[in-house]
Amino acid sequence: MATIAATPAHAHESHAHPTGFMSWMSTVDHKRIGTLYLFTALFFFLLGGLEAEIIRMQLQGPNGTLVSAETYNQLFTMHGTTMIFLAIMPLSAAFFNYLIPLQIGARDVAFPRLNAFSYWVYVLGGIFINLSWLLHAAPDGGWFGYAPLTTRAYSPGMNIDFWVLGLQILGVSSLAAGFNFITTIINMRAPGMNLMRMPMFTWAAFVVQFLIVLAFPVITIALVFLMFDRFFGTNFYTTAAGADPLLWQHLFWIFGHPEVYILILPAFGLVSDVLPAHTRKPIFGYPVMVFSLILIAFLGFGVWAHHMFAVGMGPIADTVFGLTTMLIAIPTGVKIFNWIATMHGGSIRFTTACLFCIALVAFFTIGGLSGVMHASPPADLQQTDTYFIVAHFHYVLFGGSMMGLFAGVYHYFPKITGRLLSERIGKWHFWLTAIGMNLTFFPMHMSGLLGMPRRIYRYDAGQGWDGFNLASSIGAYILAVGTLFLVWNIIKSLRSGTRAGNDPWGSPTLEWAIPSPPPEYNFARIPTVTSRYPLWDMKQPALTSEVPHSHRGDKEMEVAVGGKTVGHPHPGPAAQSTRVSESEMHIETETYTPAQVGIVLPDPTVKPFFVALGMVIMLGSPLFMHEAQIREIAGNAAGHRTAMTMFWIFVLGGAALMVGSLYNWLLTPLESDHH
Amino acid sequence: MTATHRPRRRLHAALTAALAFAISACSGDKYPNTIFERHTEFNREVLSIFNTMFFWSALVFVLVEVALLWVLWRYRRREGQPEPKHVHGHTTLEIVWTLIPAVILIFLAVPTVRAIFRTQAKAVPNALQVQVIGHQWWWEFRYPQYGVITANELYLPIGRTVNFELKTADVIHSFWIPRLGGKRDLVSNHTNYLWFTPDSADETAWNGSCNEYCGASHANMRFRAFTVTPAQFEEWTAHQKTPAAFGAVAPATPGQPATQPATTQSATTQTATTQTATTQSTTPVTAASFTGWPADRMPAYTEPTKPIPAGISFNAQPGDPARGQQIYSRSACIGCHMISGNPMSMGQIGPNLTHVGSRLTIGAGLYPNDDQHLALWIKNTRAMKPGSIMPTLGKGEYDPILATTVTSGLTDQEIADIVAYLRALK
Repeated sequence: MATIAATPAHAHESHAHPTGFMSWMSTVDHKRIGTLYLFTALFFFLLGGLEAEIIRMQLQGPNGTLVSAETYNQLFTMHGTTMIFLAIMPLSAAFFNYLIPLQIGARDVAFPRLNAFSYWVYVLGGIFINLSWLLHAAPDGGWFGYAPLTTRAYSPGMNIDFWVLGLQILGVSSLAAGFNFITTIINMRAPGMNLMRMPMFTWAAFVVQFLIVLAFPVITIALVFLMFDRFFGTNFYTTAAGADPLLWQHLFWIFGHPEVYILILPAFGLVSDVLPAHTRKPIFGYPVMVFSLILIAFLGFGVWAHHMFAVGMGPIADTVFGLTTMLIAIPTGVKIFNWIATMHGGSIRFTTACLFCIALVAFFTIGGLSGVMHASPPADLQQTDTYFIVAHFHYVLFGGSMMGLFAGVYHYFPKITGRLLSERIGKWHFWLTAIGMNLTFFPMHMSGLLGMPRRIYRYDAGQGWDGFNLASSIGAYILAVGTLFLVWNIIKSLRSGTRAGNDPWGSPTLEWAIPSPPPEYNFARIPTVTSRYPLWDMKQPALTSEVPHSHRGDKEMEVAVGGKTVGHPHPGPAAQSTRVSESEMHIETETYTPAQVGIVLPDPTVKPFFVALGMVIMLGSPLFMHEAQIREIAGNAAGHRTAMTMFWIFVLGGAALMVGSLYNWLLTPLESDHH
Repeated sequence: MTATHRPRRRLHAALTAALAFAISACSGDKYPNTIFERHTEFNREVLSIFNTMFFWSALVFVLVEVALLWVLWRYRRREGQPEPKHVHGHTTLEIVWTLIPAVILIFLAVPTVRAIFRTQAKAVPNALQVQVIGHQWWWEFRYPQYGVITANELYLPIGRTVNFELKTADVIHSFWIPRLGGKRDLVSNHTNYLWFTPDSADETAWNGSCNEYCGASHANMRFRAFTVTPAQFEEWTAHQKTPAAFGAVAPATPGQPATQPATTQSATTQTATTQTATTQSTTPVTAASFTGWPADRMPAYTEPTKPIPAGISFNAQPGDPARGQQIYSRSACIGCHMISGNPMSMGQIGPNLTHVGSRLTIGAGLYPNDDQHLALWIKNTRAMKPGSIMPTLGKGEYDPILATTVTSGLTDQEIADIVAYLRALK
């Protein structure tokens, strides 16, 4: 990858991209961290997919015996946990990392080392949770981990310990990244890149970071309570001591519902940026698309209890949460209509990226409509915790999030690697995925309405579910084949894909103004942005000259922040095309070393990795405490002492490593002076 | 109605007809757990909302997908086509398609709110009260108005409102009989209510299930509900109220010394209480009375189909109920199970076994209640049902939870005797 990076003229003298294991361990470059996120998340996507395949094999027919009840419960718990926290969120994070600085015209994120830390916490946390498989003690409480089932009284094993500790670790990663991206987007936009000129993906990312920083503390509190219950004998969820288990449910879903938007909005953002490039038209109703993102996110915090209509909250709460949930359909519907309007009148190129965008519009609609159907509490009482719900959220998360993320992968792979993914293999991937997805998840609507509960490892014959389950399983196998095409495509295209050049799709946004893959410093000269579609202004001034917002909006939005003017009056690209291309917006085709262009970049460092490692060791060490408690109950005093010793070694060792590395990190300047 | 409404009404009628067709295809014996049935006011309420939602959803779905496909076809890229005109939005259009969903939502919200308050109102005062207590992984049903406690099999009189009082003994469960009503969770330290009237239900059996994930055997936490005539219901409760039948009612197998109880004292007690109960009940317990749903009338969809797990077998002579009663009464069984009429058996943890012989399934609907399954169940419950709290009792059996082999357990012959005893408790 790296040698492809530089243009031939500079290839061997520049070493713009160092290679080798240590260069990846120590990188603080947002693009390389984004690449790490991308491939790690794709790996976890395959792992979560494998778990799903085993689930579908078990449920292919009645009375499945492929895996035991216990293993099945671990599989569906880990499938959900993996797909949500280790696959979809990090896939989104890959694009946040890679694209936010490029789209806003910045050289990196605000805190490059914190960014590396986020990644290492994520990957180590993912490994930590999955280590539980080795002990055959993978989490088995469902991804929602309802108390009191997850308390020691009902889950005495280490399974839930891995989950409760692992999710806290992953939460640190998401929170650190969230603050980092918020700071980046607020502070590091190129001149002229005012908020209403930001690409839609950056907007979605911006909104999602607020969801993350507001929602993750809530789940963290819920998890800390559960951790204290499990390890230190507190009674937050101990029902025998009078605890109310609805505390967990409320805390979990106050996080859990915004989490749905954390998973879907980045995909919405990607589609809103990918569609215009492949239909040759700007996004329809940009301001409405932005406001609907914000509105969805805002309303998303007020609907959590629609996951709890069956718990008996009473008619008032049911009414309130039912109605607020229905309201979300409005901004979501607007997005669907606006995407269709974007395609309307365009020149649609059916590239793989575009097909995945279209698939999101087509399939997410189904998930959205079934969502409205269980927004009605009485109807939901016949739907909740059945396969109808499974169908619904897979249409949202696979038909929505994954389709958008696949679109992003096909669209941005050339930017990331310099080579295009094969369109031929891509079409196979797309059609198998589209067919497989619908064959897997559509029959689940039927089996759910015909009474099949969720999370069951077996079902009796003669319940009217056999045919639907068989169809779902066949669909899942087709999906697996489709996913293998993606893997093949990535491997093949990395080696021998067509060279992409700066801008293979004719896209309008800043990231396409620089070489693919971008040089370490991103922009040799930070561009001055005068519209939402700076590259189209340059390349097709005749078309954009009539754009109402690109001049009128400027005058309206001209604001001064701290004495610095952020909005620039737009003279109209047609009249000023020379000026636009020469001084405000430009295409960079050459790749230099940072030194050649006089750019000081942060030094690579492994300290964030060691801070993350220390933290994960420290937060994982209570496992030994659990082992000690088990041995104590078993009357094994010596074993108890050994395990407690291990606990103290790990907790103090991890803490020492974390604090030491953190001090070292904080006392080292971001950039060394010798440049 | 005026002519302007007609096209919409026609569309509505057509879609409703299509839906009705789909629903009829989804009901009956082919889909025995369907929600598309109207046996209770609860389900009629839900179904009417569902139909409204389905109508609008189908309409929106068709319009969106048709618009999408048309746009894809019409605006596909063509050779030599100039770059399309840049359109950045259309305020009026966007306002219109913001308002249309909002208006549609009003059509959904109004019946929803109405139904919320209707279904969550207090049940009628003379409703049949049934306490449902969830356990890992079985159901306890108590009829406080009748003094009846049973497990995993629920009897409901047709036409009478039943008010379920839902509680749990451990984790959260969810009570659901899809063809009769919506589900409601059993939440620790909470009491929930759910009521409906099976007013147009036939005399038949229904499947019920737990719908909130509750641990290892969540999938195996099922139950059967039987809707019976009010007269049958009275007979059933009268019979259920009687103490254990063994020794008092006709023995299970002709020729078995059923009149030779384990202890003389308990036999007298049993006979005495049986007589008292008989005289108290309105319908005398006769041979012809309804004491439980007949096994030969179990619909196919209520028959358990789980095969016996591999590696567990049973080999013994047919058991003797009297001996079985003795063995039962000195074994671990009594620590958890209650058999009214057997003074030794006062346990509160497991299902009440007073009339276990009259039940059609064991293990919360997991296996048929026959000699073989019951014997294997007692021998190694934890192999028969994952995670089961009931310990493995068979001598030499491997307990998958304790990961040890049971050394001082029951022999196959002892189990056969206990089975004979339990099966005699009709």
